[in-house]
Amino acid sequence: MNNYDVIVVGAGLSGLIAAAAATAAGAKVMLAAKGAGTLTIGSGTIDLLGYDNAGRPVAAPAAALAALPADHPYGKLGLPAVQAAADFFLALCAAAGYPYCGTLAANRWLPTAAGTLKPACLVPATMDLAGTEDAAHVVVLAFAGLRDYRPEMVIEGLSRRPGFRGKHFSTAVVDAGFGPGRDATALDLARWLDSDAGRRECAEQLKKRLPPGCLVLLPPVLGTRPDYQAWRDLEAATGCRLVELAGIPPAVTGFRLRALFLAHLRRQGVAIHEQAPVTGAVVANGRCLAVVTGQPDRRREYRAGAFVIATGGFLGGGFESAPGAACESIFGLPLDVPADQLAWSEPRLLAARPQPFARFGLETDQDLRPIGADGRAALANVHFAGPNLAGYDYSCEKSGNGVALVSGYHAGTAAGEGRA
Amino acid sequence: MNKNCCDIDACTACSTCAALCPVAAAVREFPGPKLAGPAAERFRRAGARDDAALAYCTNCKTCEITCPSGVPVAAINMRARAEHQKKHGRKLRDWLLAHGEHMAKLALPAQPLADLGMDNPVTRQVLKAIGIAAGRPLPKYARRSFLRQFGKLRQQPCADKIVFFPGCFTNYNAPEVGLDLVAVLQANGHEVVVPKGLNCCGLPLVTGGYLEEAEAAAKRNIAVLAPYAAAGVPILAACPSCGLMLKQDYRELFAADGAAEVAAKTYDAMEFLLELRDAGRLNTAFKPGKARYLYHAPCHLRAQGIGRPTLELIGALPGVTVADLDAGCCGIAGSYGFKDDRYEISMAIGQELFARIKAEQADAVLTDCGTCRLQIAHGTGAKALHPVSVLRKAYEPAYKL
Repeated sequence: MNNYDVIVVGAGLSGLIAAAAATAAGAKVMLAAKGAGTLTIGSGTIDLLGYDNAGRPVAAPAAALAALPADHPYGKLGLPAVQAAADFFLALCAAAGYPYCGTLAANRWLPTAAGTLKPACLVPATMDLAGTEDAAHVVVLAFAGLRDYRPEMVIEGLSRRPGFRGKHFSTAVVDAGFGPGRDATALDLARWLDSDAGRRECAEQLKKRLPPGCLVLLPPVLGTRPDYQAWRDLEAATGCRLVELAGIPPAVTGFRLRALFLAHLRRQGVAIHEQAPVTGAVVANGRCLAVVTGQPDRRREYRAGAFVIATGGFLGGGFESAPGAACESIFGLPLDVPADQLAWSEPRLLAARPQPFARFGLETDQDLRPIGADGRAALANVHFAGPNLAGYDYSCEKSGNGVALVSGYHAGTAAGEGRA
Repeated sequence: MNKNCCDIDACTACSTCAALCPVAAAVREFPGPKLAGPAAERFRRAGARDDAALAYCTNCKTCEITCPSGVPVAAINMRARAEHQKKHGRKLRDWLLAHGEHMAKLALPAQPLADLGMDNPVTRQVLKAIGIAAGRPLPKYARRSFLRQFGKLRQQPCADKIVFFPGCFTNYNAPEVGLDLVAVLQANGHEVVVPKGLNCCGLPLVTGGYLEEAEAAAKRNIAVLAPYAAAGVPILAACPSCGLMLKQDYRELFAADGAAEVAAKTYDAMEFLLELRDAGRLNTAFKPGKARYLYHAPCHLRAQGIGRPTLELIGALPGVTVADLDAGCCGIAGSYGFKDDRYEISMAIGQELFARIKAEQADAVLTDCGTCRLQIAHGTGAKALHPVSVLRKAYEPAYKL
């Protein structure tokens, strides 16, 4: 039979990290994917904890973690575990030639294409404002034909924010010379800047339009590959600092991080099965023996010593629900939810209050194994990671990729080390 | 029609498919799978005019592989394209490319005259005039088809039978792939049956917009294969596109009785051999070699959800290493890359793959798909082989058929 040490289900950020961690622990790993994962179109910034549970912005994630409730994934795993996951991630990115910036000691505030600042902990070097404080002149770059992006909105918002007040703002336009066709996206421009010719042309235009020593804010267009090549070339050509704005999907920076992880996993010999949606499992005596996939032709069983389930929550397909009840999709593990369906959600979608359903998820032990009513692990060799965990609201906390990283790393490590 | 083919509301418009579509990356005239597929479908169903952008879709299925919501984007596109072409007419060129099996049947008795006839300046002028790309080499017809050669083989009788679905490319252009598969299966105690009455899997008809003819082809194949499936005999395809048709598209596009049963017994050739290995039944008496191969995973193999069996099987041969190129679609997409108005797009899609191959030192590029092999040879000059040919060599001379 096909037989792996660890099978990771899900190819979003938590699944990719889990597969990398299990491999680092020496395990033979298979990754089962259904779709490409939202990292493809997301920002790829690691937002560890942007706001505390009272809604206040967090300056120092390491200190703020201590104040989280014990049933929060971070509370369950503890600060050393969070630090270990961050170290693993930073080392992996650096070794791949695409180092991220940041520490748990301080959040970074990233300028966005909406003219706001958003908190994040670990970020690509292209998004980091550090070292640009002295620039008196900020040029917000536009690209001809770029859809859903207004430099005026960036200036309108940022000029009122701390760190940007009092600076001189202006705009400049770069024209990639795209012919007829669909509206351009940041990804189209990033592909243009992947090419030597595109980078040369862009550098020529920038040299004509940028005042010396300015800070350039631009949409996330600096190449699709995780190598900083376009960024370095354009900074060297212009002598200016270039900082990418957090943008709407396709946000390109997540695209790069996904490419980095997939290349790493392939180099490590991880068997990546695309189009292999896991629909069930074979369980005996409190252990999972195999997961069952539903490809279009037939079901297949894949056996392993341990499993990481990184299938997401309601949005990702990790949960199923019926009025007054919800369960995890693969094992049918019940979620502790109110029987009164009306108590699941705040009636106003965009209320300034957290949505109760956002915290729904699986209760787990410290190894992220689901626990039953008796408080003991219901499945001895199954570890959960990402939005299927209970006790955190990634939307209000701005902790989505952070919990994905930390829980993915620990689930993958626990699965990899427990392979005997 | 399968209900899944209609479920455009499962699309949440997340744009993941648009971000990863190889055609959208290569050409800005294509709005991308999301807009040409589920989004435009809403307008088409409301009676809006047909969308010419559909002609850019290669049916590579990357959108389906990457969709987090299981939307059959390519199938939506193929149905809509067929409707569009019914209303707007078709080119002679597109009829010819969709009916390659007819062409091969006409040409084969006269091979090598046929190849000579195809490759001279006069014929190329005629082909150019009807819209076949001048820069694209045409695949040569084999002197003797796979079926003709297979009919003369003397196999060792075995209790375990296998049905082989040869497909047009193996039968008419690359019979050695079919013969190599037979030899490998014989070395593993299986006897190969090729039932009479099989025809083209129908994929060129689907991408060409001839869905009714494709459905008829599918139903003929199912009628031949269903009794074997019912008897539990595995059905092997060495071409990932034929395999995907049998496994998925027959069910998705056509409501054909028996399609599910046939799908449940259909295997990619390398998938089947890997399952033999996993069951401890693979003959591992491989002679030691010394080779380094590169592997290109065809899109229609990726779409089958079986991982990359070749990496495991070839990588386990003594003295052999194989590296995953992992560079996405090669761009040829069957007949797509033969069209003069698509040739440049086809080559642009393949650039990443070509560059990686050229940057590596290797004995050959391995890939399961016949037209991928044509594209790789054309784009890089590298030797391109089906992985089963490497396996057969590793068994020789102990298991010479």
